[in-house]
Amino acid sequence: MNPEQHILAERLKVITRRHFFARCASGIGSLALASLANRSLLAAAPANPLAPKPSHFPARAKRIIFFHMAGGPSQLDLFDYKPALIKLSGQECPESYRKGERFAFIKGIPKLLGTPHAFARHGQCGAELSCMLPHLATVVDDIAIVKSMHTTQFNHAPAQLFMHTGSPLMGRPSMGAWLTYGLGTENQDLPGFVVLASGGKAPDGGSSLWGSGFVPTVYQGVQCRSQGDPVLYVSNPPGFTPADRRRSLDTLNALNRMQLDEIGDPETLTRIEQYELAYRMQTSVPELMEIAKEPPAIHELYGTEPGKASFANNCLLARRLIERGVRFVSLFDWGWDSHGTAKNTDIRSGLQAQCDNTDRACAALVKDLKQRGLLDDTLIVWGGEFGRTPMNEDRHKNPAFIGRDHHPHAFTMWLAGGGIRPGITYGATDEIGYRVVENPVHVHDLQATILHLMGLDHTKLTYRFQGRDFRLTDVAGHVVKELLA
Amino acid sequence: MPIATPPSVPEIVLFLGRFHPLLVHLPIGFLCLLGLLEALARFPRLKPLAHGRGVILGLTLAAAAFTAACGLMLAQAGGYDAALLQSHQWAGIAVAVGCLLASFTHWRGLTRAYYGSLIVTLAVLAVASHYGGSITHGRDYLTQYAPEPIRELLGEETAPAPAKVAVVEEAVVFTQVVQPILKAKCAGCHNADKLKGGLRVDTLEALLQGGQSGPVIEKGDAAKSRLVNYLHLPVTDDKHMPPAGKPQPTGDEMAVLAWWIDAGAPADKTVAELKPPARVTRALETMFGTAEPDMPPQKLADLQPGIEKLSAELSVSIAPLSQTEPWLACNASLNTNFGDAELAKLAPLKSNLRWLDLGGTKITDAGLAPVSELRNLTRLHLERTAVTDAGLACVAKLRNLEYLNLYGTATSDAGLQQLRRLAKLQKLYLWQTKVTPDAAKAFAADITDKQQLHRWRQEIEDIKAKIRTATLDINVGAQLPPAPAQVAAKPVNDKCPVTGKPVDLAKTVTHEGKVIAFCCDKCVACFQQNPKPLLAKLNLTPINAKCPVTGKDVDPAKTVSHEGKVIGFCCDKCVACFKQDPKPILTKLNLQAIATK
Repeated sequence: MNPEQHILAERLKVITRRHFFARCASGIGSLALASLANRSLLAAAPANPLAPKPSHFPARAKRIIFFHMAGGPSQLDLFDYKPALIKLSGQECPESYRKGERFAFIKGIPKLLGTPHAFARHGQCGAELSCMLPHLATVVDDIAIVKSMHTTQFNHAPAQLFMHTGSPLMGRPSMGAWLTYGLGTENQDLPGFVVLASGGKAPDGGSSLWGSGFVPTVYQGVQCRSQGDPVLYVSNPPGFTPADRRRSLDTLNALNRMQLDEIGDPETLTRIEQYELAYRMQTSVPELMEIAKEPPAIHELYGTEPGKASFANNCLLARRLIERGVRFVSLFDWGWDSHGTAKNTDIRSGLQAQCDNTDRACAALVKDLKQRGLLDDTLIVWGGEFGRTPMNEDRHKNPAFIGRDHHPHAFTMWLAGGGIRPGITYGATDEIGYRVVENPVHVHDLQATILHLMGLDHTKLTYRFQGRDFRLTDVAGHVVKELLA
Repeated sequence: MPIATPPSVPEIVLFLGRFHPLLVHLPIGFLCLLGLLEALARFPRLKPLAHGRGVILGLTLAAAAFTAACGLMLAQAGGYDAALLQSHQWAGIAVAVGCLLASFTHWRGLTRAYYGSLIVTLAVLAVASHYGGSITHGRDYLTQYAPEPIRELLGEETAPAPAKVAVVEEAVVFTQVVQPILKAKCAGCHNADKLKGGLRVDTLEALLQGGQSGPVIEKGDAAKSRLVNYLHLPVTDDKHMPPAGKPQPTGDEMAVLAWWIDAGAPADKTVAELKPPARVTRALETMFGTAEPDMPPQKLADLQPGIEKLSAELSVSIAPLSQTEPWLACNASLNTNFGDAELAKLAPLKSNLRWLDLGGTKITDAGLAPVSELRNLTRLHLERTAVTDAGLACVAKLRNLEYLNLYGTATSDAGLQQLRRLAKLQKLYLWQTKVTPDAAKAFAADITDKQQLHRWRQEIEDIKAKIRTATLDINVGAQLPPAPAQVAAKPVNDKCPVTGKPVDLAKTVTHEGKVIAFCCDKCVACFQQNPKPLLAKLNLTPINAKCPVTGKDVDPAKTVSHEGKVIGFCCDKCVACFKQDPKPILTKLNLQAIATK
């Protein structure tokens, strides 16, 4: 290869298809690109895509804390008390239930399994709760329990994606992304959508659960670690001053702006925004994460230990994020997949341990938001991706452990705050808790209701992608009016 | 209030009597027309007008006679000031007689007498009409708004106009608040002249005395006072007061009346002494015109440039609450350097600000003054600020406030009292303040509109009663449990004990717990007539010699047939035991059988 050929080859390497279109003299290329990219963004690219935007109609909630108890908490051992199931415990599951059913793990004819845990009624509303949730029992008059949730997915990742993105397949924006896209966020020094995870393992659905799908990536969730640097590399390396950082970012931004002007890809804008946000987060985040400064009474309330990675610490952080105007906080806690294959997934000991880890902090968050006057416009949602079967899974035929398989037909979630009618139990399941028999609430209905509380019409919050308008609830979803205060 | 009808008056009389106020305008009109025609006919050119007098005179006479008759019937109903009624009655009759006289003189061609009687009749008509009007509308109806000199000329008492109230708190409740309401809405029919239902409301003594059906005010309990209850009845209700068509009291007026009665219906207490709840304070302010007028929001488009400038300058977030409203929410809590000076700069947005978050800012009592201008504010965050009781005086002016967050401030019980006037307040946060739980509880009880709550509870009860009456409750008696499926019990015999033929399983008789089968109905009858020989024929000795329950000897009379086998027991108790749960006993018997083998 002679030098001339070499230069030509190198040049071809750097010229991408986009460069070709962008430089196409006729301008057809830029036209084509304009139609490919989001029109509204190109027409009038807002200075800040995260600036607060007015909701469709007056909102009941301004912020959301979404607890996702990954794995599928057993509704039958926590919320949905079924005396008939206890009576029938040990008997074979009738064929009428099994017919045409597919289970994730159950093989053969499973035996029904009554809960080994005691239940009691609590509060003025008299809601039934498992004795494993003594702290939640103290705030039961502030929450609405939905016993009639149902989904279409019976494996973790698709079910989690369904819960968070409205689709069991990857590639859709998550609820937090939809909300920050629709409403923006008040605090420009922090991301509008923050994710905190606990339980030692990420949820099966992975980061797609807080991804932005096809909406600009500026709306995706930012995962914070609850130990060490909350965001990796948030602090400047030794010898590098904030002024240095500023200068280098200014140069970088200038380059990115050139790129944006030339190509007009909204992702370039996202990149600029993310650099700027990261810069602001260098000061806002360390202050935010300093939970050690909370008074002892608050640590006592939540059961937090500063410096430790725990669910309780995440709950306290969630409150601090909400106080600072963050729009959507997702808390994932792994370890609720009670199959009964080992001690930590046993319905008796494993589930008890999960409750011991989380119950106090969940109830503390409700109480703390309430006393601060934040519960009025903060919506709390608690639940898993699906429920668990009324039958013992008994995968290893080991009587030492009992467990339940994945169950999409009926599960329980609870909601509190921001426009939710407190102290109610909504919906009901049949005698053994297999199917919903009263007021079913589909995952899309829940999503429609959440958007409604945030002042958004779920049929109008759309994003045009690949030639059609997409929405969180796809083509379904009804606002559950009975849950609204 | 119902008008007590004397039982002696037939309904047809009352019915016709009610036409009096309708018909009364005919003779008045006719007479005035006649007078006018006669006057005009004095001019030579208009002389032909007089030709109509005969017809008009006839019509007038008929109308006057009918009207007078109806009037006499209406008077039977009672409920009017007797003296006034008397005057009106005689004047009315005099008009009718005058008409008769005028007709007669005209007929006889006595022109002078005719003119004389017409003039006198017209004069009497004026008097009769005035009395009539006084009965319906009250004595001072005509002169109520007359200029002072005219009133003086007429000898009307020139009651000092109610003193303009500068400070609502200092107004005397009965004379300056309650009495004007009663006068405007009730006194038209319940006054010294027109005692409908025997009730007068023009003086406190008369009001407390009540009407024909008893007192209308229960001191200290508005909910039990008919005066208040009748106001709240639906307008379509017969007992609703004031009657449909008359000026109705406003919600504010009703709230004030109820509050005054609840406070014991005092004569000389001032507003401040009776400590009005927020709802009543608002009502009083509206009535006295001291309430600040509503502040309509400006168009958002006009404010937009200012919003952008301000949010950048003050580093706060200012955004519309939603796309459907002109309201703005301002969140300054994210800027910890936000202070009094910055707050004052929000003034251009004052008519549109609905939510204001000053939580954790450097705001002070002194700087809170601009907040009192934000009259459309429904939500205010002052938590974690240096605001004290002094600053709450500004907050107390925000009449539309629904949410107030004061946690972590120096608010005390005294400061809380200032917030009494926030009638729309729904949420108040006082965590980490000096407010004691008792004071907070008392404040909540104090600020609640108990009247309204009571009425709503009453409404709920009423609706429940309606649901009960609208639902048909059918009782068909206790449902018997479905009869257990008839299982043909296996008889102890396979041959008919009478004929020796094979048995028909449908023809069985249960005898002492044993099922015996026969071949036909005839044999069954035969057995029922005299069972003994046939029983002897059938070998019904039990299969066991010892009772399977106790192990004692079997009593031959205590046997049970089961699956074609006769099982013997020692006593009825054991039989009952077997019938209840045969399984364990059967197993036991089987074992015994094996053992004997």
